[in-house]
Formats: sequence, structure tokens, C-alpha cells
Amino acid sequence: MTNYLIRRVGQMVLTLFLIVTLTFFLVQAQPGDYATFYSLNPDIPAEAREQIKASFGLDKPLWQQYLVHMKNTFTGNFGISFGHYPRPVLEVLAERLPRTVVLFLSATAVSFYVGFFLGKAIAWRRGGVLEYAATISGATLFTAFTPAFALMMIWIFAFKLGWLPVGKFLDPLIWRGAEVSANHVFSYMLATAAVFIVFAFLTLLAARKLGRLGAGRTPFLVIAAGAAVVPMAWAFTGVGYLALDILRHMILPIATLTLISFAGTMLLTRNSMLETMREDYVMAARAKGLPEKVVRDRHAARNALLPVITSLVYSLIFAIDGSVIIEAVFSWPGTGMTLLEAVRSEDLPLVMGSIVFIGLFSLLAHVIVDVLYVYLDPRIRYQ
Amino acid sequence: MGMPTADSQPILKVVDLSLSYLTRQGPVHAVQSVSFDLGRGQSLGLVGESGCGKTSVANCLMRLLPDNGRLTSGQILLDGQDLVPLSEEEMRHFRWGRMAMVFQAAMNALDPVYRVGEQVMEAIEAHGVEGTTAGARERVARLFRMVGLDPQLMERYPHEFSGGMRQRAVIAMALACDPAVIIADEPTTALDVIVQDRLLRELKGVQRELNMSMIYISHDIGVVAEVTDRIGVMYAGRLVELGDTADVFGAPMHPYTAALMSSFPSISGEKHGLETLPGEPPNLANPPAGCPFHPRCAYATEECRREFPSQVRRGSRWAACWHPLTDMAGAGK
Ligand SMILES: Nc1ncnc2c1ncn2[C@@H]1O[C@H](COP(=O)(O)OP(=O)(O)O)[C@@H](O)[C@H]1O
Ligand SMILES: [Mg+2]
Repeated sequence: MTNYLIRRVGQMVLTLFLIVTLTFFLVQAQPGDYATFYSLNPDIPAEAREQIKASFGLDKPLWQQYLVHMKNTFTGNFGISFGHYPRPVLEVLAERLPRTVVLFLSATAVSFYVGFFLGKAIAWRRGGVLEYAATISGATLFTAFTPAFALMMIWIFAFKLGWLPVGKFLDPLIWRGAEVSANHVFSYMLATAAVFIVFAFLTLLAARKLGRLGAGRTPFLVIAAGAAVVPMAWAFTGVGYLALDILRHMILPIATLTLISFAGTMLLTRNSMLETMREDYVMAARAKGLPEKVVRDRHAARNALLPVITSLVYSLIFAIDGSVIIEAVFSWPGTGMTLLEAVRSEDLPLVMGSIVFIGLFSLLAHVIVDVLYVYLDPRIRYQ
Repeated sequence: MGMPTADSQPILKVVDLSLSYLTRQGPVHAVQSVSFDLGRGQSLGLVGESGCGKTSVANCLMRLLPDNGRLTSGQILLDGQDLVPLSEEEMRHFRWGRMAMVFQAAMNALDPVYRVGEQVMEAIEAHGVEGTTAGARERVARLFRMVGLDPQLMERYPHEFSGGMRQRAVIAMALACDPAVIIADEPTTALDVIVQDRLLRELKGVQRELNMSMIYISHDIGVVAEVTDRIGVMYAGRLVELGDTADVFGAPMHPYTAALMSSFPSISGEKHGLETLPGEPPNLANPPAGCPFHPRCAYATEECRREFPSQVRRGSRWAACWHPLTDMAGAGK
């Protein structure tokens, strides 16, 4: 397992190296050159310009610039953003990346869960109304043109019904006079989510270690209790209403993303489930007199999950790639929108930084899903 | 309970059981009017070539039919209680609790993602056989020892087991809830001969020790002869001969039984001139009229082609044949 991890991380570093190299030369291949962009930017004072030139090697030949760029990238120095001068690229990204990651991770999780749940149900009861409804609506949404569908969702739920905010990360009216910054609140929300996930995971793990199968509900009650504590704890901090505002802004994009992407997981789960349902161990589980739900969830669906998990990588990467469009439509200030803005304003350091970070995230997603798979399939775990 | 005749009553009584699979080519009559009794502590063998409906009978008994399977007639009386009209939920308590199964594809009967011990525990807990987790674990360990597995193997996954070990684990699993009846469907077919032999003896030992009733299914009549008290021969979805194992082997009544025996030379060590049975069992979607064996039978006459024979009884045995073999005829062929 450790060996495996080391190997995977090694591959990741290599791929990242390729990504950085490619982005550098792609950006260089654009008309206009890097150095000129820096020197023409009126925001940058003359004395700073010389210093930037020297530290990025902009007066040197291309291959030397490349080496300097490499060194800078791997030491975390992505340079200064033109558009956000004088903020370093890394600082801009550090602010925006979590927003993207949270939004798309939640959306992928919700869409995966919905897809898996429906896929499992329609495979178990073939030919029902649910199968019809889920397959047709899922396939329709899956093939819908994303921006148009997103706009339609905004039109219905934000304009017509007025249930949800139109877009953006927060509502300035609510935040006026707030003593904490949005990023501050957001990072606390992140921390809460992380703690909660670890808590839930440990509870399930403990339940399995102690576990009587019959007492299947207790761990979920414990997790539910934990979930109930979270809002109470936030209420005490006094900024709970601000966190709630951010949450409200997340609903529509998450719902939209879920609707356009759940069908993939659903159909995959359905097929995988139809395969596992024919397996002898599912018949054996039924023969053992296990309740129908246990046969379905613990045996058929648990095994059907394995091939579906592999597709999670693609869902995640697809979601992050799609972040450019979705974030633009919902004015969600994450990396996707940052990249789009940076491209439009020819903020080259920010473009390169965003691409590298999106690449890095995709790689991380890959490794995490691989590790998850290894955890879920004992046949691989002990090889 | 308390009835004076309780012990002489068979534990399992199957009456006129028929099963069809609905297919695009029409119904496949995989089981037709099968009736037999299984006494307490007794073992009954079901033999016949592949495709004769043996597994289908086993699955009927457990009421584990595929979506296209339909029970068209019959009763399955387990301890006097008919299982056929039971709902799924009611049936669930009989499965494993009263009647357990060792599957034909035992290799695949273990779920690859759970520890082997866990999978045995699961059955124990589903039926509340043991009050505590510790009790259940202790029981699994005992079962493992009984079938010759080291209890520490409980913590291993199926892929870490050899074929023979898996088979033992599946047998341990079948014994988990002290079933009254155990159905073993070709439990050793996938194993090599030596392992097969040892396992067979152990299975027999366990069955005797626990005084369970067993239905042992195999296409290999020699194997069945080793482990069973009575034997039923199936052909084309029908039971064609039934009797005490010694009788049937001593002098088969049905030509099909005789043919089966001569195609497995291992029985009782005698070397018959190894005759293989020519042809194959009929397509059950469209079986021949009359006795389904007639196209392959050396003794077939006009009536064999016309009508299914009624049972010819000799003491505790019978055969469904127009021209049952006598001892002489069996040897003379
Ligand atoms: N699910 C099914 N659908 C249609 N036909 C089936 C199905 N299962 C078994 N059969 C057919 O029923 C007959 C009996 O099969 P089976 O009970 O498996 O025989 P055996 O165990 O003696 O080999 C075979 O002809 C087989 O093709
Ligand atoms: Mg079979």
C-alpha cells in the first residue's frame, strides 16, 4: 500500500511537470510576449518592472526563462498577477481554489449519490415507472446544453420563484457591517465540513469494528446527532447567518450540476448492478435468508459500486473542467471564473497559475479515487 | 411435536413439483411432477446428466427462482409446513434457518469484498441464532474447525482461499444455523479428485454427526453412491427411478440408470467396458413425446414413444419405465 502510494505520487509529480511545461510553451506560443505584457501594464511602476524582469529572467532567452519558470513554479512562486496587481498569483488562487473545490466536490458527491441510489433502485426493480422516469429525464438532462440549462434554472428558481439568489458567492447587503471577511467564514465552513466528514467516517469505521449487523441504525443516528450539533455550534459563533448566506448561494449551482450529471452515474450503476445481481454470491446472500434490502445494498450494490467508483475520476475532472462555464453563468468567483477573466484580460501569470492548479486538482482527484478504490476492493488491497 | 409419529414422518416431502422457465422459445419444463420424501437424518442423492433439472429442483426447494421461473404445481412440505404459498418475507426465515444450501458454483458463492468469517456471521445474525457478537464469532470458529479450517482464516478474504478452502467455508456457512435439511448441489465438482474425495467424506461425517438430512446432487453417479442412503435418478426434468442406493446400484431398473452407471466406471471398482451414453438429453422446451429417454434407449418400443410410463414398484423402490430391467437384463446388456 505504501509502495503503491509512493509510486502514484511519483507519477503525479511527473505529470505535473509535463503540465507546467506544456502550459509554459502554449502561453509562449501565443502572439505577443510575456515581457512586453509586463512592461506595458500601466499598473506596474517602473522600478518594480525592472525587478520583476530580473526575477523572472524575462531578459534572458526562452530556454532560460523556462528553467526559471520551472524553478519558480515548484517553489510556489507563480509571479505577480497583472489584473490583481500587486497580489501574487498564489494568493489570488489560494482565495479562489477552495470555492471551486467545495462547490464542485459537493456537486459531484450529490450527483454521485443520487445517480448511485437511482441506478441501484431501477436495476433492482426492472421495468417500473421509476426506471422510465429516471432514464428519460436523466438522459435528456445529460445531453442538454449546459449554459442554456443553467440559465433556465436561474430563470425559474431565482427570477420567477425567487427562492434562491441569482448568483455570486454572497449577498453584499447581508454582509454589510459584518466584522469578518467572507474568506474567513468560508475557511471555517471548510474546517467544519472536514471535521464532520472525519467524524462520520470514524463512526462508520468504529461501527464496523464493533458491529452487529442487526444494529445497523445506530451509527447513522450518531452521525445524524453530529449533524445536528453543527448548526448549533455555528449559531454560537454569531456568524452563522453569514455561513448560511454562502450556503444559500451554493444550492442552485449544485442542483444544476447534479441534474446535468447524475444520469451518467445512474446508467453506469444500473448496468453494473444488473451484472452483480446475476452473481452467485447475491443468490447466496438471498439463500442465507438475509432481508431483501441487505441483499441489495450490502451485496449487490456494494459490488456494483466498484466499477462505478472508477468513473468518479472522470466526473470530478469533468466537473472541474466545466467549472469555467458554470462559474461564469453563476458568477461564482472560483478558479474557473478566474481563469476566464485572466484569459480575457491577458493576465498571463494568472492564466498559467490557474491551469497548473486545475491540473494539480485533477491529478489529486485521480490519486484519491485510486486510493478509495484500493480501500473498497480487498482483492487489490492485498496484492 | 409431541405426536407419536413425528419421527417416522419425513422431514421433507415433495409432492408433484413442476417448474417452468418462460423463455422466448416458449416454456422450458425443467421440473415435471417430481415427488420424493426425505427422512430425518437421511441423505438422498439426485443424479442425472447436466441439464436434467437437478439444480432447478434444488432452487425450487429454496424458492430461489430466477425472474422467469414459475412453479406450476406442487407442494414442498418441510416438517409438514408447505413452503409454496409462503410470502418472500415468511420464506426468508426458512432459508438457512431450516434449510441451507451448498451451491454448485461454491467458488463464487462468497462475496469478494467481505471477510469469509463475516459472511458466515451474517447468516447467524440474520437468524438470531446466537445472542451476542462474541457468541456468533465463537460459533463461526467452531464451524471452521468442524470443516477443517483454521479459525484464524475467518479474517481472510475469499480471494486468499484456495478452491478447497472456499468449498469448506461454504459448507461451514451452510451449517451456520443448524439447518434441518442441507442441499448440496455438485459441491465438489470444481475440485480436483483428491480434494473432492476427502471433502466428500468430511461432508458425510458432518451430516451424520449433526444428524441432518441431506440432498446431494451430482452428475457423477459414483460420487452419489458414496454418500447417500437413497438415490433418485433424473432425466429431462423428471424423476425416473428412486430407491435405496444399494438396490439401485445392485440392479438398476431404468435403462437410463444402467447407462449412467456404465459411463462412470469407477463404481465399486469393477471395470465395465466403458460405454459412453450416446446422444444427449432432450431440449426441455420441446421434449419428445412419451418417455423422454426413448430416442436413446435400446429397449424402446411403440408405447415408449406414445405415453409416459407409470411407476413400476418393487418394494421400497420404483422406476418409471415400460420395460424395467430385471437383474438379468441389467447384466446382459
Ligand atoms: N433461468 C433459466 N431460464 C431458462 N432455462 C433455464 C434456466 N435455468 C435453467 N434452465 C434450463 O433448465 C434445464 C435444467 O437446468 P438445471 O436445473 O440447471 O439442470 P442441471 O442442474 O441438472 O444441470 C436446462 O435445460 C437449462 O437450460
Ligand atoms: Mg446443476
